[in-house]
Amino acid sequence: MWKRLLLIRGAELAVLALLAAIPLMVDNSYVLGLLTLLAIYGILLIGLDVTVGYLGQVNLAQAAFLGLGAYAAGLCVANFDFGMLAALAAALVVGLIFGTLLAFPALRLEGPQFALATLSFSALSATVLNEWEGLTLGAQGLQVSRPPFLGMTLDASGFFWLCLLLLALVWMAMRNLLSSQWGRAFEALRDSPIATDAMGVGTYRHKVAGFALASGLGGLAGGLYAFNFQYLQPQSFGWDLMVILLLGVVLGGRKSLWGALVGASLIALLPNLLSNRGLFQIFSAIGLLIALAAGGQGLLKKTTRPFQALAPVAAMGILMVGSLIVENTEDWRKAIFALMLFSVVVGLPEGLMGFAARFLTRLFHIEPPRLPAPASLDTVLPKRTANGGALLELRGLERYFGGVKAVDGVSMTVQAGEIHGLIGPNGSGKSTAVNVISGLYVPTGGDMLLRGKLLPVGSLFKVARTGVARTFQNLQLFGELSALDNVMVALKDVYRSPLPLVLLGLARAEEKRASAAALALLELVGLGDQARSLAKDLTYGDQRFLEIARALARKPELLILDEPAAGLAHPDVNKLMDIIKRIHERGISIILIEHHMDVISELCGVVTVLDGGKIIAAGTAEQVKRDPKVIEAYLGVVDDPAGAAAPAQAG
Amino acid sequence: MYTLLIVQLAVSGALMGMVYALIAYGFQLTFATSKSINFGQGELVMLSAFFSLTLIDSGLPYWLVVPGGMLFGAVLGLFVERTAVRLSLEQKGEGWILLTIILGLLGFSAAENIWGRDDRPFPTPISSDPLHFFGIDVTPLELSVAIGVLAVMGLVELFKRKTLLGKAFEAVSADRDAAQLMGISATRTIQLSYGLSGLVAALAGILVAPITTVGPTMASVLILKAFSVAVVAGLDSGFGIVLVGLFLGALESLTSFYLGSGWREAPGLVLLILALAVRPNGVFGKASIRKV
Repeated sequence: MWKRLLLIRGAELAVLALLAAIPLMVDNSYVLGLLTLLAIYGILLIGLDVTVGYLGQVNLAQAAFLGLGAYAAGLCVANFDFGMLAALAAALVVGLIFGTLLAFPALRLEGPQFALATLSFSALSATVLNEWEGLTLGAQGLQVSRPPFLGMTLDASGFFWLCLLLLALVWMAMRNLLSSQWGRAFEALRDSPIATDAMGVGTYRHKVAGFALASGLGGLAGGLYAFNFQYLQPQSFGWDLMVILLLGVVLGGRKSLWGALVGASLIALLPNLLSNRGLFQIFSAIGLLIALAAGGQGLLKKTTRPFQALAPVAAMGILMVGSLIVENTEDWRKAIFALMLFSVVVGLPEGLMGFAARFLTRLFHIEPPRLPAPASLDTVLPKRTANGGALLELRGLERYFGGVKAVDGVSMTVQAGEIHGLIGPNGSGKSTAVNVISGLYVPTGGDMLLRGKLLPVGSLFKVARTGVARTFQNLQLFGELSALDNVMVALKDVYRSPLPLVLLGLARAEEKRASAAALALLELVGLGDQARSLAKDLTYGDQRFLEIARALARKPELLILDEPAAGLAHPDVNKLMDIIKRIHERGISIILIEHHMDVISELCGVVTVLDGGKIIAAGTAEQVKRDPKVIEAYLGVVDDPAGAAAPAQAG
Repeated sequence: MYTLLIVQLAVSGALMGMVYALIAYGFQLTFATSKSINFGQGELVMLSAFFSLTLIDSGLPYWLVVPGGMLFGAVLGLFVERTAVRLSLEQKGEGWILLTIILGLLGFSAAENIWGRDDRPFPTPISSDPLHFFGIDVTPLELSVAIGVLAVMGLVELFKRKTLLGKAFEAVSADRDAAQLMGISATRTIQLSYGLSGLVAALAGILVAPITTVGPTMASVLILKAFSVAVVAGLDSGFGIVLVGLFLGALESLTSFYLGSGWREAPGLVLLILALAVRPNGVFGKASIRKV
């Protein structure tokens, strides 16, 4: 525990101290310029990593935000005589505002559409900076003077220390933020936007916040950039720079502050690397060796596909040969970036730091931080007293897809405190009904009432906030998060600290409470010892149990389980029944969709049977089993109702 | 007279818009089969134009240059599919966005060094002496663009509907998994779509080169507008892109007249962002149902 803290914080402090001391030891304006650029790029890349790493979206606008921030700071100084701090704040705010504006249209977008939206934004901002000559002087360029900092005039090393200080502050704030609920929410919405909404976390606000934050840091870096170079031209912030920034993040390693720093150092040093032929040859040779080693290892261990191993070797081979033939490497700058980026994206997707972090953790035997003791279940899921009465009421619920009436006038009531079975052959409308109740689909007609009040329609997020939680038939876990984080991200009523406190690292107590509560829920479903495993690495059965634990983190009044036993082996089915019984004992009402008739018979007091989107029978499990209409729906023939087999495991 | 000038500008712009539509059509082809597009398609257009120019310089007649250039584009398309797209589709990831950008960059750098950074004229046997229609000038060159675009789009559509291979293409577009279960190779079909996409991109390059000249940056603005057309119309909108292409071409021509030529890219970019905000599936696209 202490060792971990000591090593990680110690490394951070050592690097910071070393960087800060260099200007005292070396009196060289060129080196100082490089270091300043490193610090600026560091801030910029930490921002870019929020979108590229945590939100998992290709963001092509970070260079544009750098430009907007730079012009904002420069113009504030030129026109309004701002001081250094005020101008930097203005740059940050401009980044935040434009980031938020762009985030709103980009909100609903994924993957290519998001990339396109950011690409257009960059092109648009370049057009405006170029053409609004009255303000920016266009292609002619803008001279910026470095304003005083709190009344002092900063020389080159003073300005470098300011940049370094800001980098350290950004580093700490982002470390606190990304290890909090915010960071988890960012990653959750990357892995499954649907589940993020269904768990009441809110895809919407987190995506906007994440992107705005990234852009704000871009703006801040832009302000520093303006005062560093003191001359701005629109074309400096174009496509070339954007590609270099992506190279920095990807090569350094995504989802890592250290990765951003390593990436920043690399791209700050790149121009030197390219102008010196001998250095470049050595560098390409190292690249080729790494590609050969990594590829060979991957092939031997059969962890990579042949393409993944061979393509980087080919790309690095081309780079090596090129470095020997080509006279002026500067001319081939873009091709060199391209080959390097290609090799990293294909062959080393976790980047240099991802690779190094794993290695160092093993080398120093760094253990993950210890987990708190699980909270008592009574504090996490207080027993509800089932006071009876109708909990959920459906009145003539309809959902049509074109001409298909998937749910066709369903009216049913779920009493508080019961386990209500919902069965029916495949395609009978069970899952559609659940999707309408939980807000994924807007109903075509009918009403839904929870405790007599209308349930919100068509919003997973709003329904989740009313106290209805659900699991998914096709698992919607946050695969890249640990089991513990999967539950923690969904926890209700724990995270109260406002953003500033989180940034300052003053929200640790609630983090601890949250992980204790989440552990209690993991133990309830028998996953207490798997808390650190990534969700995607769990066995199929455990993934199903994790879905239940995650839904329970919503502390629901009504829990909807959509075929929780589907695909489970027999021992797991027994475990599942046990879990459901224990949840029921806490006073939580349950709608259970299932095909296993024995599960239904044992657990459900009331069963509703759907076929063709309509209710064909309702009653106790025994009653519906003997109902001729139910038997016909499952087996297709009405023989002798008494002699017919129960529809166990049908479908 | 003033009205006539406006109409003249709109018509010339709209004819240029057909080129955007053709490149956008290339996006549609690959998006249909694989839900991916080549972010480096502009470089593909440019490289094919340069290659065709080299063919012309080597003395080949124009009617051989066109298929030669298109073949080159198809080969590049296949290369993009193999190196940048296939792996990430197999991993069900979105790595192809970054990888196609990277390949584009590589192509750009190669063109800069092989053919030089300057813009060069692209000779064509098609005349640019204007013809007069109701007081509006249209050059045969501009008309050849429109005709070429419609012809190749018509042919590809005919291929998709009338041939067995084309039907496999449609099957994979409709449902990749189901098509695979029926014994159609999705990989081969996606390959085919990238080949076709490269083919139409090359044709776009050859058609537009005599008007814009050939240079490494010839396609960097072209491609932004093709993105706009594809997104505004919808990536699965079929011939809707032609209408949007005509509209955007006319709009930017008028914008550059009223606001100055520096602003001519702006309307396309604004439209793209607006379309993504309001109708992410495009004006002519179909909304899809989320399934869990």
